[in-house]
Amino acid sequence: MGIEHDVVVVGAGHNGLVAAAILAGAGAKTLVLEARDVVGGRCVTEEIAPGFRCPAVLHAAGPLLGRVARDLELARYGLKWLEPAVRVFAPSPGGPALRVYDDAEQTAAGLRAFSAKDAERYPQFAESFRRIGAAIAPAMTAQPPGVDAPRAGDRRAIRAAADLWRLLATMRRVRALGKREAYRVLRWAPMAVADVAAEWFESDLLRATVAARGIYASFAGPRSAGTGAALLLQAALDGHATAPAAFPRGGMGALTSAMADAARARGAEVRTGARVQQVRVKNGAVRGVVLASGEEIAAHAVASGADPRSTLLGLVDASELGPGVADRVRGYRCTGTAAKVNLALSRLPRFASIGSEREGTAALTGRIHIGPGIDDLERAFDAAKYGEISARPTLDVTIPSLLDDSLAPSGAHVMSIHAQFAPYALRAGSWSAAREELLRRVVQTLAEYAPDLEETIVARAALTPVDLEERYGLSGGHLLHGEPSLDQLYALRPLLGWAGYRTPIAGLYLCGSGTHPGGVVSGASGANAGRAILADLADLRSAAARRRRLPFGLETEA
Amino acid sequence: MSAVYDVVVIGGGHNGLTAAAYLGRAGRRVLVLERRHVLGGAAVTEEVFPGFLFSVFSYVVSLLRPEIIRELDLPRHGLEILPLDGTFTPMPNGDYLWRMNDHARTRREIARHSRLDAEAYDEYGKAMVDMARFVKPILGMTPPDPMSPSLASLRDLWSLAQRFRRLPTGDKVNQAKLMTMSAVDLLDTWFETDVLKATMSASGIIGTFLGVRSPGTAYVLLHHYMGEIDGAFRSWGLPRGGTGAISEAIAGAARAAGVEIRTASPVARISVRGGRATGVVLEDGEEIRARAIASSLDPRQTFTKMVGHEHLPPDFAEDIERYKFRGSSGKVNLALDALPDFTCLPGAGPHLRGAVSISPSVDYMERAYDEAKYGRFSRRPYIDVVIPSLTDPSVAPPGKHVMSCFVQYAPYRLKEGTWDDQREAFADAVVDTLAEYAPNLRDIVLYRQVLTPLDIERTIGLSEGNIFQGELTLEQLFFLRPAPGWARYRTPIDGLYVCGSAAHPGGGIMGAPGRNAAARILRENR
Repeated sequence: MGIEHDVVVVGAGHNGLVAAAILAGAGAKTLVLEARDVVGGRCVTEEIAPGFRCPAVLHAAGPLLGRVARDLELARYGLKWLEPAVRVFAPSPGGPALRVYDDAEQTAAGLRAFSAKDAERYPQFAESFRRIGAAIAPAMTAQPPGVDAPRAGDRRAIRAAADLWRLLATMRRVRALGKREAYRVLRWAPMAVADVAAEWFESDLLRATVAARGIYASFAGPRSAGTGAALLLQAALDGHATAPAAFPRGGMGALTSAMADAARARGAEVRTGARVQQVRVKNGAVRGVVLASGEEIAAHAVASGADPRSTLLGLVDASELGPGVADRVRGYRCTGTAAKVNLALSRLPRFASIGSEREGTAALTGRIHIGPGIDDLERAFDAAKYGEISARPTLDVTIPSLLDDSLAPSGAHVMSIHAQFAPYALRAGSWSAAREELLRRVVQTLAEYAPDLEETIVARAALTPVDLEERYGLSGGHLLHGEPSLDQLYALRPLLGWAGYRTPIAGLYLCGSGTHPGGVVSGASGANAGRAILADLADLRSAAARRRRLPFGLETEA
Repeated sequence: MSAVYDVVVIGGGHNGLTAAAYLGRAGRRVLVLERRHVLGGAAVTEEVFPGFLFSVFSYVVSLLRPEIIRELDLPRHGLEILPLDGTFTPMPNGDYLWRMNDHARTRREIARHSRLDAEAYDEYGKAMVDMARFVKPILGMTPPDPMSPSLASLRDLWSLAQRFRRLPTGDKVNQAKLMTMSAVDLLDTWFETDVLKATMSASGIIGTFLGVRSPGTAYVLLHHYMGEIDGAFRSWGLPRGGTGAISEAIAGAARAAGVEIRTASPVARISVRGGRATGVVLEDGEEIRARAIASSLDPRQTFTKMVGHEHLPPDFAEDIERYKFRGSSGKVNLALDALPDFTCLPGAGPHLRGAVSISPSVDYMERAYDEAKYGRFSRRPYIDVVIPSLTDPSVAPPGKHVMSCFVQYAPYRLKEGTWDDQREAFADAVVDTLAEYAPNLRDIVLYRQVLTPLDIERTIGLSEGNIFQGELTLEQLFFLRPAPGWARYRTPIDGLYVCGSAAHPGGGIMGAPGRNAAARILRENR
């Protein structure tokens, strides 16, 4: 069988598509294989009830790197961003609601109702994050440094020198921030987000709103050390301390379908309904993939957008990974603790903390943070430690239909709720029995702020971590393809020594969120991996050519 | 006005005394000022009840640097460290886990719980010793300042990075995990027995306001293996005569080197003129001048109380304000009429000669932490019990015993009430918890001394009762301890140095901060 493809990309999630577009754009023959019937992975828009379309899993792009959007010319392929008036709206029980805007002064003005001191400090805080974010942002679009001492003359030595150069450049930028700000980077990373927030603010609601981004979709409470790093990494992508409210018109599926179109326009082929069963490996090098249908596809390289666990333990034989690596992959922590609840609503529920009707619609157009204080977030997390569903989960809610009439019938709405904590492994009982209880707790928690919520619900669906695993192929149902904890970030993501998108198998690459910088929908992992593959492609092609020249299909251990 | 000293050391704890001894040996004229009537700070032995000698606060020697034992010739000054034999963990189901110093027996005992774990235990021990070997030189090093352009700093950082690069991959992975993971996550990768993980994880939380599942707690597990590589000198165990004997031995070495030591001499403030420390003023008004001052107190005592923020650069003052203490532990010292009798292993066997750990499960440890997070002391706390009178009969009347109970969590800040009105309830919780495993305990208690974090602060001046002079968390370690940019024992006040546990490498009866600081003072004051 001749080799028709340079690269097979496993999974048409946003990272896989970004990688494919970059590879195809550079002239590599690229084929994307998606197991489901739709592209998108975690970024899909699905019908949850007739006429109601909802971002099924992730509900905001967060933040998609400007460079990725520009390079892929996503606007040309129909992508339109919606612009919410408010970034985050955080109501408190019986008290005023907090509004975070992109503009720091505007946010500060609203903070006066909570604390004059916080209002005064907020612009400094925002500026500090902006500057730190700008300094470390270039590290987000570069592969993390390797850690092995290179041998002289080795290609790795060149790579290591380049790594070191980039690392030094980042360090220079951090130092250029001045001692004060530079030390903040070093101090905040290992800290708990609750402590980072407490260094700045006295209002518990504001502290909790900031902390929420540091614990998003992870097995961590605001008092868990290292959540500062998760916050800083995300802030590095958009220079902001709270989660962005970036919604594509048509839901998250519109983002990935524009990406798929961009990849196709560059010459990539995208096939849905094609589940990759196995990555074929011979003599330590990739030869292609085998589909569930039995079809075999030869390729010089395979880039997996799936998580590290399902790729390295599911698609290849663990023995191919070499001693110790398989065990380390097994130790990679990717057990999810977040669930998704999607609601179809007959009308907009009334939020008690909103004044006029007009203002109400505007305030709810961004993200709605439910978790009024650090202790509330922490208590919600406590449950996860003991394998229980939080009694009052922390919620990240969006109502995308407020700005996007394509998602729901006129006057009706869809509500997308990210709920923490709902641990993958329940200590008592199974998720099929507990799903209703999760729904009940989520709706009840939200009803504390929107008392008429229950009566507006037309249809409801919950995606537990087990559902996320089964339906979307996320190992452990982990929304971020693995914990964004200190031991699994940067040069340690997914494994120390294998953080450069390459794997112990020549030609097998990881390009999903389980690699640096991973996490939320930024496309950076896919873009970085795409570039790493391009750098290796000539070598992979010539290795294949050498093999083809051998008579009778004989091969030697290269 | 009295004579001018080369160095005045504030605080006669083990670090202050260590610094003084090294300075004295280098020929400097040194005066140590201790507030209390006894030397030792947290490493002190006191006769709390007639005939019963307690290591009131710190109760075991953990990491006393062997070079200090050697260089100060501490055995000659009376230091003798007796072995603390193993750790015994009673379980609520009537079983127990008993790890002994005898390797083969420990293996058999762990195999009783899990065969796999018995095998993993050896590998784990080896891996930890390798890691300890990597970390050990860092303890004796002055932390480099990554933000300072100094060549020496960059060289130190570079050599650290090179040492890391040269580690075998497996060790790199272990080291990276140790620095970042939680104790339980790390132990989960090695073991399956819950009680084993719970007991081992306990050493990761001691003195911190963190739970066994909190990231950053794995690193401390390493300290237990540091002793193993220290060779001939036993640096882990019980000092004969209590922990005060360590302080006395170091004080002996200091005096022999000509150091003057005054007890009952509380320092009120440090005199600063033109950005330079010129001496100290005692509470009784006496002024003592010195060319340099080394404070072994924590940063709040040193800078907020004795220097005053008006003398500090604003950024530094802010860092000191923010420095986290968060005392999380208390101490209950019991004078006993007899030995406790554990239901799961009755009698006065050798299991009582080591530590008795109340850490039956990981969830038990975590729930103890959960209560503290919300401002209550743990109703069912983690307790580390030692009965020194079994190893060292000199500390109790014949037939009687002293029992030291280290208790966590006891948060300094209570959500409701004050420590003054919760003290007895706290001690009751400790005795009740222990009585669940050793029911005779209630009947054999003759006296009890209860030390809440507030009592620790009041008695020996550790702010918020933090036994390490500030939390040993990543953001307060190495070049960030006690404040970013000021980890090299110097302070923004010329002539003022820090030499206590709030300086690198931190707490425990280690002596390293005192020794490192002395070296720095000698270098800068030739």
